[in-house]
Amino acid sequence: MKLGKLFITGLVAAQLLVGCSAASDTGNATSESSGGDVAKKIVVFQSKVEIIDQLEAAAKSYQDETAVEVEVHGTSGDDYFQRLKSELANNQGPTIFSLSPGAEITQLSNYLADLSDLSFAGDIADGMATEVDGKIVGVPYTVEGFGIVYNKNLIDPSAITDYDSFVKMLKDFKDSNLYGFGLSQESYFLIGHILNHPFAVMSDMEGYMEKLAKGEVKMAETPEFQEFAKFYEAIRDNSYNPLEVNYDKECGDFATGKTASIHQGNWSYSMFADYDVDFEMGLMPFPISGNDKLAVSVPTVWSINNQVSESEIKAGKDFLTWLYTSETGKRYVTEEFGFIPVVKGMESTSLDPLSAEVSRYAAEGKTLPWATNLYPAGVVDVHLVPVAQKFFTTDMTAEAFLLELDEAWAVATAS
Amino acid sequence: MRRSLNSRWYFLFVFPLFFIFTTVVLVPFCLGIGYSFVTWDGLPLNPKTITGINNYISLINDERFLSSAIHTLKFTLLTIITINILALIFALFVTGNINTRVRNAARTMLFMPYLIGGLILGYIWKFILGDAFKSIGETTGLTSVFFNWLLDPDFAVLAMVVVTTWQMAGYVMIIYITGIQTIPEEVIEAAEVDGAGFWIKLFKIKFPLIMQSFTVCLFLTMSNCFKIFDVNLSLTGGGPYNSSEMFALNIYNEIFSLNNYGYGQAKALFFFIAVACFTLAQVVFTKKREVEMQ
Amino acid sequence: MKEQVSLAPNKRPRSAGNHRSRKRRPRRTLKRRIKRFKRRFKAKFASITSGGPVASIKKGVTYTILLTVCVLYLFPIYIVFTNSFKNRSELYESIVSLPGSFSLEYYITAMEKMVFLSALKNSLFVTLGSIVFIVALSSMTAWMLVRRTGKLSDSIFMIFVATMLIPFQTLMMPLMQEMGWIKNALRLPMTDTIGGLIYMYIGFGASLAVFLYHGFIKSIPKSLEEAAAIDGCTTFGIFWRIVFPILKPTTMTVIILDVIWIWNDYLLPSLTLTSKINRTIPLSTASFFGQFTIQWNLAMAGLTLTIIPVIIFYLCAQKYIIKGVAAGAVK
Repeated sequence: MKLGKLFITGLVAAQLLVGCSAASDTGNATSESSGGDVAKKIVVFQSKVEIIDQLEAAAKSYQDETAVEVEVHGTSGDDYFQRLKSELANNQGPTIFSLSPGAEITQLSNYLADLSDLSFAGDIADGMATEVDGKIVGVPYTVEGFGIVYNKNLIDPSAITDYDSFVKMLKDFKDSNLYGFGLSQESYFLIGHILNHPFAVMSDMEGYMEKLAKGEVKMAETPEFQEFAKFYEAIRDNSYNPLEVNYDKECGDFATGKTASIHQGNWSYSMFADYDVDFEMGLMPFPISGNDKLAVSVPTVWSINNQVSESEIKAGKDFLTWLYTSETGKRYVTEEFGFIPVVKGMESTSLDPLSAEVSRYAAEGKTLPWATNLYPAGVVDVHLVPVAQKFFTTDMTAEAFLLELDEAWAVATAS
Repeated sequence: MRRSLNSRWYFLFVFPLFFIFTTVVLVPFCLGIGYSFVTWDGLPLNPKTITGINNYISLINDERFLSSAIHTLKFTLLTIITINILALIFALFVTGNINTRVRNAARTMLFMPYLIGGLILGYIWKFILGDAFKSIGETTGLTSVFFNWLLDPDFAVLAMVVVTTWQMAGYVMIIYITGIQTIPEEVIEAAEVDGAGFWIKLFKIKFPLIMQSFTVCLFLTMSNCFKIFDVNLSLTGGGPYNSSEMFALNIYNEIFSLNNYGYGQAKALFFFIAVACFTLAQVVFTKKREVEMQ
Repeated sequence: MKEQVSLAPNKRPRSAGNHRSRKRRPRRTLKRRIKRFKRRFKAKFASITSGGPVASIKKGVTYTILLTVCVLYLFPIYIVFTNSFKNRSELYESIVSLPGSFSLEYYITAMEKMVFLSALKNSLFVTLGSIVFIVALSSMTAWMLVRRTGKLSDSIFMIFVATMLIPFQTLMMPLMQEMGWIKNALRLPMTDTIGGLIYMYIGFGASLAVFLYHGFIKSIPKSLEEAAAIDGCTTFGIFWRIVFPILKPTTMTVIILDVIWIWNDYLLPSLTLTSKINRTIPLSTASFFGQFTIQWNLAMAGLTLTIIPVIIFYLCAQKYIIKGVAAGAVK
């Protein structure tokens, strides 16, 4: 019997050894180079499931033109980042992958190739390229904007400019048995995006967020957040409970005229494709502190994996260059993907109404940054949603709400 | 000579599987234990700092994790009972004296929920427990039972119990069926000759003879309930305000949303030990009641 | 108790008896079949004659319960099926109503996007391959662990059982690391191959299968094996010729449970299979699931396409869960 025990102990010990060397080994290994200057095959892994078919078509055109095969991998939007991380961790990472600016870029910064030498790097709109230590590591897909998506038949945007007029609008609709404004239960649509506004209207947003992380300021003591809490309270008291409504229903209610406006962005336009929408819709700023700007920024960027061979990196850069500068590539980006152009020399002729609004606000310079990109990793799903849920299911006061938000934020930044 | 031959056979029979099992399950598990003493986000190129038992110390002060432990316990206890009772009734019903077609239809139907995976299932039940319950409540006036369960902290856990039971009962039923069908008919016949009624047969003959199935099923349901993840994520997402957040979801969030890989592994190990204690106690308890057939 | 008649143990002379009689002890079975038939006839007769108002109320209650259970269990299937024909606006109008038309449009789109035939082939391959190995290796292991008792066997068994409690989410990162290392250092293609995936399924499926077999084997008397050993059978022969056939009910259980698990599994293949040509069915539906919304019609059509093969399999398989194989074979 002693033998048996020994056998097991030995096995475990051996495996541990194997495991340890595995852990220290993985960092150094790189996939073998296929010889030559440019690899004949690259792999693209990206998170936006909406453009997967179109991207595959683009990849095929590229292959026809250059004989370089581009294999597009997709996954469900939810588990993208987790899969990417596990692929990178065991050296099977793709050549090109997509990331959200902010926490994701910071975490993967050791894996990102320097893209500063791309021929169109200088043409990327100001501040839209993602940089780490002065080097460009992310090429923007597009810009997106969010604010209040409203029904032009029901709402006059010029009448809603501040807290009082917003609340009056909510109450008027409530009296006529409609909802003036709606949120939905998904983490970002419930609190993630709307919480962006009190941060973004500040003159020194980044400075404030740093102080907040250090605990030097409190949301509960900041006027912008106090006003935000009042907005949130008005929404709770005068509209439906967002926890009972998902994104599909939120958009359905809006498309059928039951809700006059929803807190969404231009991405939501595709949700209305199956409805006979009999009104025009627009996108307007969320009127906190008299704000008249849309929150516009880059949701996703292309990055290249620096752990693959030189020739593969080169091939990846070539593909991105083709996508953003060749006639065919540009056509795919603007027409097929429906993206708002972010690189000089690209123009879009057929934007949907909401994207057109984003484009207009951007051209006029009336944009707010996305504080969401600077949120601590995972804070919305893990820490903010529970507070919002408590707020919408109990009669929590605005003050208590802010105190809990502060607490949640502190926990998130501490870990 | 004979002894060495014996051990060679033993090796031949046991080693292949145990080897595969070791490489696939045990090694990663041991690696995980190692990482629980490290602060790291899981990416090889990013820094690892060895922090000793720090992760375990913060564990004890992690209120959210400890309350997820309580939810998991509550949920598991309730669900084990409901699943096993229901599965046993189903198994007795479909092995009973009924029309073959009904039997086959019933077996398939009861097993169906298990075929629908997490996300879709969560969505469907969200609809039933939200919209459907609300409108039933409004039309019948029974608003104390029929309201949106997912918005109430206690009922959200109950909703998890209901959905998990619904999903798992047909699965566990299969194992009970196997058990019931191995009862020799002679034994039942003998009992019938002696004039045993339905309940006597059930409690004095069938139950003791399928004790082994009880062990298996109780263990299975217990381990599955402790590990519950899919339904948790898709149905309640841990809400409202963490009141239905279970162990596995908490660990998942720690590792994949908050990128605290080492801390997540420490939680996982703690969780494993806690669960192992419970389940082993339970296995020992039911094992004593098994009847060996010789 | 009137109920005892209807709830008496399963008597299925046709399917059960037939199958067994082909294999062994035909005469005894025939006799029993006749006996059983007689008794069943009597039972039926008794239930008819003894019916009174009480019985019919009971029957009514039983049927009501049955109907409720039916609705509860079939409703989600109904939702999946009907919503595979609706577009977003129809879905918004009502989740429960019947679709406006039963056009196969979404099924065709879904199949195209999933590259259905290739995915089906991969799924079949992975499932079959894994199951064969799980069944063969686990039953062998479990038998040895039961028959050669001792501390080693006990420890191995406990390790198998204990690991059933580890949530997969905590294993996946180290697992992928280890497999990546094996690939780089030993040049064994563990990742992004069907073979590697099967290997992992064997590892993950081992615990449950060993656990189920272990429990069942304990309830089988040793006498037959001992007799065979005296007759000069090798251990290998004893297992495959005598023990394995007796294990059939458990084998069927293991097959059913594992087929469904492997067929529907998303997480493990999503981590190991990256190339398009290797995708299994669940992986191929991933693009229907966005971050905030789902293309419901395609997702539901995809789901229907995924579960139909399993349902067919299950219907076929359950015929083979035969009552009393073990009991009839021994003695």
